[in-house]
Amino acid sequence: MGSWFSAEKVAGYGVAAIAAVLVLYPVYFLLQAAFDVGDPQVRPPTAYGVDNFSSLLQYPQIMLNTLTVSLAATVMALMFGSLMAWILTRTNVPGRRLFEQLMAVPYYLTPLLGALAWSLLGQPESGFINGIWRAFGGEGHLIDINTPYGIAWVMALFEGSVAFVMIAALMKSMDPSLEEASQVIGASRIRTIMRITLPLVTPGVLGAAIFVFAEMLGSFAVALVLGLPTRYYVITTAIYQMIQQYPPKIQVAAAMGASLFAVMWAMLYVYRRVVMSGSYVTITGKAFRPRLLDVGRLRYVLLGICLLYLFVAVVLPLATLFFASLQKIAVIFPTAENFTLDNFRTAMTMNAVRSALSNSLLLAFGTATIGIVLMGLLAWLIYRSRLPGGGMIEYIVMFPQAVPRLVFAFGLMWAWVVFPIPIYATLWLLLIAYLTVFLPLGVRTIAGVILQIDKSLEECAQMCGASWTFRVRTVTIPLLRPGLVAAWLLLFIASVRELGASILLMGPHSKVITPSIVESWFGTSSELTLLWH
Amino acid sequence: MAELRHGNLTRRRVLKAGTAAIALPFLGIATPNVLAQGVSKSPTNVLDFTTNADVAKAEQEGQLVFYCHENEAGTAGIMEGFNKDFPKIKTSYVRAQTGALYNKILSERAAGRFDVDVIQLSDIAPAFDFRRKGGYEHYVSPESSAYKKDHLSEPNGYFFWTGVDPAGIAYNSEKVAASDAPKGWKDILDPRWKGKISCKISASGLQFVQWYTLRKIYGDSFWKEFARLQPRAFDSRVQLFDRLSKGDDMITAIGEYPAYILFKSKGAKVEFVAPPDGLVTTPLVVGAVSRAPHPEASKLFVDWAMSKRGQAWYQSNPNLYYGSVRTDAPAMPTGVKLSDFKLLYPSDWDEYASQSATFLKEWNSMLGL
Repeated sequence: MGSWFSAEKVAGYGVAAIAAVLVLYPVYFLLQAAFDVGDPQVRPPTAYGVDNFSSLLQYPQIMLNTLTVSLAATVMALMFGSLMAWILTRTNVPGRRLFEQLMAVPYYLTPLLGALAWSLLGQPESGFINGIWRAFGGEGHLIDINTPYGIAWVMALFEGSVAFVMIAALMKSMDPSLEEASQVIGASRIRTIMRITLPLVTPGVLGAAIFVFAEMLGSFAVALVLGLPTRYYVITTAIYQMIQQYPPKIQVAAAMGASLFAVMWAMLYVYRRVVMSGSYVTITGKAFRPRLLDVGRLRYVLLGICLLYLFVAVVLPLATLFFASLQKIAVIFPTAENFTLDNFRTAMTMNAVRSALSNSLLLAFGTATIGIVLMGLLAWLIYRSRLPGGGMIEYIVMFPQAVPRLVFAFGLMWAWVVFPIPIYATLWLLLIAYLTVFLPLGVRTIAGVILQIDKSLEECAQMCGASWTFRVRTVTIPLLRPGLVAAWLLLFIASVRELGASILLMGPHSKVITPSIVESWFGTSSELTLLWH
Repeated sequence: MAELRHGNLTRRRVLKAGTAAIALPFLGIATPNVLAQGVSKSPTNVLDFTTNADVAKAEQEGQLVFYCHENEAGTAGIMEGFNKDFPKIKTSYVRAQTGALYNKILSERAAGRFDVDVIQLSDIAPAFDFRRKGGYEHYVSPESSAYKKDHLSEPNGYFFWTGVDPAGIAYNSEKVAASDAPKGWKDILDPRWKGKISCKISASGLQFVQWYTLRKIYGDSFWKEFARLQPRAFDSRVQLFDRLSKGDDMITAIGEYPAYILFKSKGAKVEFVAPPDGLVTTPLVVGAVSRAPHPEASKLFVDWAMSKRGQAWYQSNPNLYYGSVRTDAPAMPTGVKLSDFKLLYPSDWDEYASQSATFLKEWNSMLGL
């Protein structure tokens, strides 16, 4: 009897049940919509069929565009993320702690603001960089941000920070003695990186790659701002148009979203195969102190790389946004009459919007704090416990990542509006929604670190007679601490900047801030939008 | 068993009607709530307008929940105007584009949630649908006498045109000389605008009206020729004018007058052309919602929005600048009256609504969607 009610089982199956309800309940409604071929304005559906899926074949160009941009952005994000993570966690580059803090800024800036800034900088006609280029005698334009690679560049800069956070957490937890051993036996630095460092971080990088690719598939704001001027549509911007129009084609959008489940599951399958096929343990019972690699004079080159990255991802966009916010119409060479403080005045007087900020912060705190427990336990359940069904839970948890948030929000709305407990249109609904949509983010971040911790440490405590709760509290959590802190911050920031689900789920008395920011761009003036950060 | 007949009334019909009356609220469908006005009392004067609402009761209800298609600043602006006049009524709102907003309210009502007092939509087609579904409260405002029949629902009392959004052609005056600028709608088809002209996406009610009305005037080939120009489509009028004023586009095929006023006031080098055939115009429709949680407040809002006072607010707020269709409407901020323009809009709204699927298909395919 005792083994049936162990704390391990209660916690494991408890969180599994919560995660399953959070995810599968709205997914059921989403699938229902994907197969709904009746009157789109009538719920529940009146007829079922596969027409919505077959109609997806009409959009080959959009699928191709999405794959092109997502792949390019993922490759760029992983390159930036891995390079920066290695520089800042494994080398003695000057000021690395400060740089590490600054690396979160692009993510906090949000892709929308990043896209707006780069749109101001890189439009062929009015872009600031091209304006300066022409002022110095250049012809035509120097850069065009409205191309697929321009879109991928901005996505990598502002959505790819998650790759850095995930890979940095891995590298921090890595035992340097393995690299030292390599160098002691005569391997060069490059050879050590290629043969020791990279293979060790493979599962984490692969996990990050899958996660970032899914993030890019679901990326919306950048493609909307930079793709529309050249009629370059990706799945999310196509879905956006389908949902906004009247009557909305929500069913086709749901089918488009549901078909992405298959893509996500295939990627997850590959990931699990890689992870299960080798050992990536670096934290063992043997004590180690993370030691930095002395890269000699190369550190100034690496410092230059850090500065350059932060310049294009933080300084340049922020300076551009600030410069634009002081103008009536943002141009590179403004006349005296074009300068104004009106945008600041308007921003200060929008009380309804300001009150949303406290809701956003409260929700972010709740999501991050509850999420860290829920997602930590889930990651442990999937990768550490011997409880049956852990693998299945991972597939379930990844559902929300597969579907663009704009579409998933409809599943959430339909699910919770009919829920007997009246949480619809309250902050509770947003909390549930955030916990659901950020499950993949939290689980993936923590899982990357869990995989590096040797099981023998927990087993040793078990052999010494420690109960499961005692083991988790005294062994697992302390070892996971850096990963948990990173995940908490990531969840907090992700919640504050959440957009897709919030737009549809906000009630009249439960408003959050990011949709208001987006609204400023759509409806009032782009110059005003820039002030919200 | 023989049916009991009293003229046209049979027992079966009475039973059917009774069952239907009981079932309707469970289905989220309200009966045309003529009774909601209660025993009709004579209108009272509040501030400088008249209302059938019980103002004391409305203030006792203390709240108004507004669903609106307008952007955040515009929606907040509408609520601010009402709240300024009725500070005891706390306002709150949800805003989303018409398609998503309409789906949201239908989903809520299907689930038995009735949280909304008033709804404003940017397209008349969903308003007709909502009317058919019994979504609107039937409330005849005393202020409706200042409106033409065309600008009220048929029959009066379900929704009204709280303003219109007229659009002509706009161009960047630094990139296009006045002599080269289009003068009429057909001039936008000139091949020199290829890749340099903008329009709106299919979610726009105004774009639908433009497609419908110009096709009626110039025939099917008009939009086929337009498609050859590879226009760039955007969400909002602000985006269109932002790009126009910076020279990213040379002209826009759908230059909304309210956006022109806004950007002109910022000193943008843009000019507006009113084609002789008329400005394409879409109504913004407002109506009280049935089974509203604050019924008196919702009626009071409708009266306020219809009144000269409310219309002046809508017409002068920089985030709205709607043109008022009140017969005694004041001039717009530019000094021009809406009645100075020839307005183009569908004469048969039912036929217009029936063209929705064709429009969406053609427009999306033109944009590469």
